[in-house]
Amino acid sequence: MTPFMNQLSRRRFLQTSSTGFGWLAWQALAQGALTPHRPAKARNIVFCFMDGGPSHVDTFDPKPMLKKHEGQAIGESAVSKRSQSAANRVWAGSPWEFRQRGQSGLWVSDLFPHIANVADRLCVVRSMVGELPLHGQQNLLLHTGKIIGQAPSFGAWVSYGLGTENRNLPGYVVLNNDWVPNGGLENFGSSFLPASHQATMVRAKGAPVDNITPTDSVSIQKRKLSLLAEQDVEFASRASDSQAIEGAIANYETAFRMQTSVPDVADINREPERIRRLYGLDSTDEHQRLYASQALRARRLIEAGVRFVEITCPSFDGNNSPWDQHGLLKQNHEKNARITDQAVAALIVDLEQRGLLEETIVLWAGEMGRTPHCPKVTATSGRDHHVNGYSLFMAGGGFKGGTTFGETDEFGNSVVRDPLNIHDIHATLLHQLGLNHERLTFRHGGRDQRLTDVHGKVVNELLH
Amino acid sequence: MRLSIVILLLFNGVARADEFFIQKIEPLLKLRCYECHSHEQKIKGGLALDSRSGWVKGGESGPAIVPGKPQASLLIKAISHADKDLKMPPKQMLPAAEIALLTEWVKLGATDPRVLTPKTTELDVDDAWEVEFRKRLSWWSLKPMRRAEPPVVKDATWAREPVDRFIRSTLETAKLTPAPPADAEVLLRRLSFVLTGLPPSPKLVDAFLKDYSATPQAAMEKAVDRLLLSPHFGERFARHWMDVVRYTDTYGYEWDNPAKGSHEYRDYLIRAFNDDIGFDQLLREQIAGDLLPKQRIHATARTHENLIGPMFYHLGEHRHGSSLMFNGIHQEMVNNKIDAFSKAFLATTVACARCHDHKLEAVSQQDYYALAAVFTTPRWTSRVIDAPGKNDAAIARLKELREEIRFQLAAKWRESVPTPAALKTAMGDVSSAKPAINEIIYPLVRVGQAKDVRVGWAELQAEWQKTRDQRIKTKAAFKTLADFREAAFPPGWVPEGDGMKHGFVEEATPLIALEGPGVVTRLLPQGYHTHALSSKLPGALRMPAQHLVPGKHVSVKMAGGEFGAFLVMDDHAFQNETFTFVTNTEPQWKSFADAELKNGVQQVAVEFTTSALNPNFPPRVGLNRGLKNSDFGYDKRSWISITGIVSHETAGAPQDELDVFTPLYAGEAPTSIDQAWTRVGKWYSEAVIRWCDGRTQPGDLALLDWLLAKKLLPNEAAPESKLARLLEEYREVEGRIAFPRTANSMDERDTPRMNYPLNVRGNVDVPGTAIKPDFLQMFAGRNDVSRSLGSGRLELVESLLQSDHPLTARVYVNRVWQWVFGTGLVATPDDFGRLGDKPSHPELLDYLAREFIRESWSTKKLIRRLVLSQTFRQSGMVTATARERDPADRLLHHYPTRRLEAEAIRDSLLTVAGRLDPKLYGRPILPPRTAIDELKRLYSGPLDGDGRRSIYLQMSIMEPPKFLVGFNLPDLKLPTGRRDVTNVPSQALIMLNDPFVNAMAKHWAVRLLKEPHANADDRIRAMFLSAFGREPGESERRRWLNALDDFATADVVDRMKDENAWQRLAHAFFNTKEFIYYR
Repeated sequence: MTPFMNQLSRRRFLQTSSTGFGWLAWQALAQGALTPHRPAKARNIVFCFMDGGPSHVDTFDPKPMLKKHEGQAIGESAVSKRSQSAANRVWAGSPWEFRQRGQSGLWVSDLFPHIANVADRLCVVRSMVGELPLHGQQNLLLHTGKIIGQAPSFGAWVSYGLGTENRNLPGYVVLNNDWVPNGGLENFGSSFLPASHQATMVRAKGAPVDNITPTDSVSIQKRKLSLLAEQDVEFASRASDSQAIEGAIANYETAFRMQTSVPDVADINREPERIRRLYGLDSTDEHQRLYASQALRARRLIEAGVRFVEITCPSFDGNNSPWDQHGLLKQNHEKNARITDQAVAALIVDLEQRGLLEETIVLWAGEMGRTPHCPKVTATSGRDHHVNGYSLFMAGGGFKGGTTFGETDEFGNSVVRDPLNIHDIHATLLHQLGLNHERLTFRHGGRDQRLTDVHGKVVNELLH
Repeated sequence: MRLSIVILLLFNGVARADEFFIQKIEPLLKLRCYECHSHEQKIKGGLALDSRSGWVKGGESGPAIVPGKPQASLLIKAISHADKDLKMPPKQMLPAAEIALLTEWVKLGATDPRVLTPKTTELDVDDAWEVEFRKRLSWWSLKPMRRAEPPVVKDATWAREPVDRFIRSTLETAKLTPAPPADAEVLLRRLSFVLTGLPPSPKLVDAFLKDYSATPQAAMEKAVDRLLLSPHFGERFARHWMDVVRYTDTYGYEWDNPAKGSHEYRDYLIRAFNDDIGFDQLLREQIAGDLLPKQRIHATARTHENLIGPMFYHLGEHRHGSSLMFNGIHQEMVNNKIDAFSKAFLATTVACARCHDHKLEAVSQQDYYALAAVFTTPRWTSRVIDAPGKNDAAIARLKELREEIRFQLAAKWRESVPTPAALKTAMGDVSSAKPAINEIIYPLVRVGQAKDVRVGWAELQAEWQKTRDQRIKTKAAFKTLADFREAAFPPGWVPEGDGMKHGFVEEATPLIALEGPGVVTRLLPQGYHTHALSSKLPGALRMPAQHLVPGKHVSVKMAGGEFGAFLVMDDHAFQNETFTFVTNTEPQWKSFADAELKNGVQQVAVEFTTSALNPNFPPRVGLNRGLKNSDFGYDKRSWISITGIVSHETAGAPQDELDVFTPLYAGEAPTSIDQAWTRVGKWYSEAVIRWCDGRTQPGDLALLDWLLAKKLLPNEAAPESKLARLLEEYREVEGRIAFPRTANSMDERDTPRMNYPLNVRGNVDVPGTAIKPDFLQMFAGRNDVSRSLGSGRLELVESLLQSDHPLTARVYVNRVWQWVFGTGLVATPDDFGRLGDKPSHPELLDYLAREFIRESWSTKKLIRRLVLSQTFRQSGMVTATARERDPADRLLHHYPTRRLEAEAIRDSLLTVAGRLDPKLYGRPILPPRTAIDELKRLYSGPLDGDGRRSIYLQMSIMEPPKFLVGFNLPDLKLPTGRRDVTNVPSQALIMLNDPFVNAMAKHWAVRLLKEPHANADDRIRAMFLSAFGREPGESERRRWLNALDDFATADVVDRMKDENAWQRLAHAFFNTKEFIYYR
């Protein structure tokens, strides 16, 4: 070992040591949170993933010019490879009014009445640039930093970098509803990182986690475990790698406890009525209730020490991805907003009231924006794929609330100031968690792999 | 313009031109470019602008300047910021005057008197790579294999196999001793898992223990040979290889489309490992199976094995869509192919060189694109993998029957030519009909409506003649490539499948009805009809790249149905969505304009195909019109017809020349309505008679088909008649034809080699020089890839199989070693380069590789050598010294404890529970899912997968089987030489609570209750034998009996019949570590 070997590389050594077993790694993890690279400003992330791509020009990036030039052809100069575009498409104004909100006067459209109420907490980036206007690629880019994936998810990196603070809960949880986003489950995977960092999926309906409900009564299960302990210890003594076997034995103890701890933390029934209503659990819309329950769970998981919680959007109409409105923009963006708006806002408010917002980053992002133009403006028209300038926001965790960063042109069609890519966002979020994105590495395929690959810069302007 | 005049005036002549350069251009280059493009500072992108040779050679994008042609010069393009992705200087554009100066200089011939003096640089850019490249070639894995002999060891009695002498010798040097031999039952369990991935049956355990106590060596040999002969051996080793080649049943990304025929490739591997097909042959087949001169037909499967091999390329993730719409589609896929190929067969990371010369290995960026050219030359498409001639007998019989049916039908038709009266009746009232000019009834209606027949007829005839002349005249714009008067395709058009091979018919051949009362469905025009004999027969016609077909347009007269389609494929597109299902039963012209070649696309071609040979069938959900989402597209009737091919310069299509009316208008015009009807009667009766005589002429078909459709020709067979018997036999023979087996593969027939544009810095938007197909420079001189007329894949694979190739045998032998011992002699099986591990026993690796080649690349012989070695037979006992000196056991001083792979865990559960269905092969079985997603075709399958082994579960990139993922099933997109083995609590939760594990416990308990065990003791003994392959010890026996008592159900008196208690006990067995580990 070199004298420069830090905590992280020690773990790496243990995980990749030629025994091939992850026992030591497990032990390292079970010790709980690890030392970050630098003093952390935040401890957790809740990622509200707006799967499908909410339209930036209908949410956080007002463009009056679109209304003014509605129906006019966009022309050759507005055509881009990063957008489903053609010269004969026409500009399309937003069906929603934009207003300045809060003390800060941040612009938010009427699509999000609840999020508008917490405008002063939002740090909006309006200048995101992606790589390809396609869902699978952009989802994987957003989650793994690579359009082809084959790399760990952002959540897995955070879990790997910081561990979990609660040994009975995983470091990365996806609050989902058996929904596989474009790009596949790989969006939530650990890839070459140890499997313990892959997302644990918690679903909204039914048993929250696979295999978490014991099939035996407690007494029978305990009896089984004691039988196993005796039998396995004997086997371990005969095995050449007793540590691996002991690790597997220890997993049974953890698993036993998880059977109680996971359902407990996922159980929102005991939350006071006031809080349940705040999130919208009293809604008559089933999808809104599903999303609200997941948002409330997110807060509970954060409280319990889970590092990275991701919430996906429920699909309500059999669309390939929820926010993907190539048609019926008005109708279905409104539906998506109805499902998510109140709960996202409630999460921010709730975290703040509990003093947790300072140490928790709420990230709201889709994988793309939507074209400010369409083939023809009609009552049922929509917007297509657009990654040449779109919006996302962060709240809490040391991000400057009530501000915007970056700028798109007067049509919202391309970035004219301070372009950022997802690597920059990743780098900045890691920075707030006390992790240096250039030092958060894992040796794989012969090189030190990073979430940000060879890209990314910390965007200090977004931070307090 | 003004500027150039000034320049010409000032700097006239060569000397002047030099002066112009020195005064105006050189200072500019120095000021604006040298910072990044000179030998004294940086040479970014490989471009140096401090000498003439620098820009002549150019950088990664090719020459920077084309003298005299500013528009073709990259340098000018870059400084004018015309291309978004190539802007120089990157930060700020040069002042317009400077751009103008540089442009003029290039326009005037780019005179540049500078030469690079040795002082300014030691090497130019190419030389620098050359020197570095030579240096990199001296790496252990690129050096020739040594002729190592097994060393002499002190303890000669220990060694059984030559392998042992290598291992022992190294241990002696390290002053370590091997572990004592493992116990017999441990050995058998180990052998059984290593060779078949299944636990040994209690019967085998009993037999082995008896044999072993008498003669250990004979017992070992017997057990090894028995296991090597087990069909489960093939499943086990096929699955290992499937990791290496990134096996998948679907294509992932957004729609998770089925990967056509992937399971055929999986089954092919199982057969190949079971039959011990030499690895050399397997390699040939996977790289270039479609090019092999000799067919390898599997005797029992009746499959054309070498055509299945190239499915290797198609595995991995495929994007949907086309590069013409989104740049980067095919480039990204090609990257996956290069990655898989180079890792699987060469343990070399070539994919790193996509953006730049490899940082560490002897692989240049040029190499990457040369391989890309190799792999994109052939068509990536579906092939029929049935043994050729499989249907020949049936087809021959169908042809005979069709001929006889025609004969019988002709006899009938000859006798019952319809009368004009019948015709009139059939037409009904046509007084207000307005038929089109090419319709059969057009003249009949017009004559009927005419006041004066003679005048009307003359008008009609004139109109017909005029239209016909006009149409014949416009025909000149169309160049006929095929009119199918003869059975032949234009050069370069490649047919596939029996549907095409036997689909040619002469004009007006009957299409026999496969059901219903009618004998014929219709008469077919001359040309190719894949369903001419049976719509089960597959057929495709694949055109050459559009730019190779003369003319800006190609039009094909075609018909089709039942998911017959045409696909526009750009650069093989992998999963193109540009396809159309054909739904017209009457042939119609479809025109295809040459597509603009952009986004690095080198060729666009059209394929006309039945569903079985459509590489993208079934298409993604949303484009599968008429097909249920849950329909994976197997066993479909489907057909296409091709009856004409023309090329032309302007848009449009040939028009019907109205041949059908030629006999009608021949001769004098009729003078009365009766005469007219007589003429009409003669018109069609003669056509019928010509058909009966086999003298059909152009145009007759339309008339006959019309008569047939109007039921004016008899089309039913009388019961018991000869015709009825023939029809019945036809249908019976057709019914026996099996649906075709097809798989995505390659087709290089009539496919000229393609170049592939280098992507500057890997950027697909900045295409550079076109690179010709070639193999890696590190193997230059030992292959003829660059001399091939096609892709060079055959030359490539033959070079890999040279007996002195430094990588091929080493890489594979190392994989086999890892599959047997857990860790390879090189611990990084996919990387023999500088970032990989070095071999622990280099001489042994070379020895085994050479022996492997000598023994005809036999995997089974190699494995036999390894598992019969004393090294393999060691126990897992480790001494403290050994643990300290060699904690990783790289020197093999004991056999490591190993966790079962995901599949082996699941398969053991099935086996021990008595639920395993040992059936081999077949279509993927859907895994159980907690939710289904129709859009991605993620449906749920049976909880226990119908008892089938895990290798048969559907490997979906989108959502692989969860149970297997829990135990480190590798990422399905990536070649994985060595799986991770993690140890996480979720695995404990799976074994404790997964419904499948519980179902297996129940299944086992129910089975145990039916066994005639004398008492609980006996039963527990049986459970130990099944689950662990050994007898319980005394304390264990008591431990499990006690547990049984505690598990007992309160109200069940007879504990031998207490299913609950036994299920709990069974479940506990599954949860022991001994169940999922072996030692």
